[in-house]
Amino acid sequence: MAWSDVVLECLKANKIQTLVHVPDTILTDLIRRAGEDDDFDVISPTREEEGVGIVCGAYLGGRNGALLMQNSGLGNAANILGSLTVPYQIPMLLLISQRGELGEFNTVQVGMGQALRPTLDGLDVPHFTMEREEEVEKIMTGAIKLAFSTDRPVAVIVSPLLSGGKSL
Amino acid sequence: MINRQELARAFVDSLTDQLVVTGIGNACNDVYAAGDRALNFYMRGSMGAGVPIAFGLARARPNDRVVCVEGDGSVLMNMGALATVGSYQPDNLTIVVLDNGAYQITGGQPTHTAAGIDLAAVAKGCGIESSSRVETLGEFETALDKIMGAPGPHVLVAHVDRTLSDPRAFQPRRPALIKYRFMGKIGTLEDVRRLVWE
Repeated sequence: MAWSDVVLECLKANKIQTLVHVPDTILTDLIRRAGEDDDFDVISPTREEEGVGIVCGAYLGGRNGALLMQNSGLGNAANILGSLTVPYQIPMLLLISQRGELGEFNTVQVGMGQALRPTLDGLDVPHFTMEREEEVEKIMTGAIKLAFSTDRPVAVIVSPLLSGGKSL
Repeated sequence: MINRQELARAFVDSLTDQLVVTGIGNACNDVYAAGDRALNFYMRGSMGAGVPIAFGLARARPNDRVVCVEGDGSVLMNMGALATVGSYQPDNLTIVVLDNGAYQITGGQPTHTAAGIDLAAVAKGCGIESSSRVETLGEFETALDKIMGAPGPHVLVAHVDRTLSDPRAFQPRRPALIKYRFMGKIGTLEDVRRLVWE
């Protein structure tokens, strides 16, 4: 099974219902397949910050959710994570595809790629990186459990070692 | 122009079992001062997130009516959220915008609505057909009464004054408590619902 299929199965098995996504090449298959699955409420916001707000609102209403985005989106969402999600103790999964790392061709992706983990650390958001197919299920399941058992956002980063990155 | 506290009192008096999300600043302060209720979710920061939170809540609670009370500055900061609401057309969502043309709590700097930018027209352009602007308290009450009973989404922009919040108004300060009370009340957290609260 492709890594994105395993991710989708883990989301479903752990009752993640609201999937909010900002378009991203690496997550394309995942977003498309989720949209075809009636178990998910798939929502496309205009910006990652808005996406965090939607996932928080859905959680207040009783639906667990995840935000799917590229690492550039974390820059757009930093304030709302620090001022809403963390202090209000609202759990969510952040599934972040990594750019600006091994094999990157686009200079402008490198800055936010390098700032990804320091930003998450600064916001007190635990993060785990998936590099190999055999660890996807364990990391996804563990991250979701950590988030929803302890009421905090938790990030799972999709390494280019797993995704193959984006080539031109 | 409408006195903001009078509007907040009229708004709170009109509520029954609606879920209310209030944005940062005077939206939060005035709604709180007009009458606290456990079905209010008060934001303490995250300027611009009121509409997205209310939209997410409306998606998850299709059988409840959700009302977002936001300031003009917050709506301007995250105007894309209106396009999302217009695109998904949640019929149980109402957005009340307190438009005083100023970032009042940061010193009264003018917002772009002071230059004539029309948020009701923006909302209409975003596909929220039921979007209107009111200038008097009477118009606000009539419009609110009409839209609360009709399928949305609705945007109601109220032209309000720049009176200061009641200094006696206690601002709810503990974010986690706001969350747990809200979720406990609507029953979306099993363990909180089971706790004895008195």
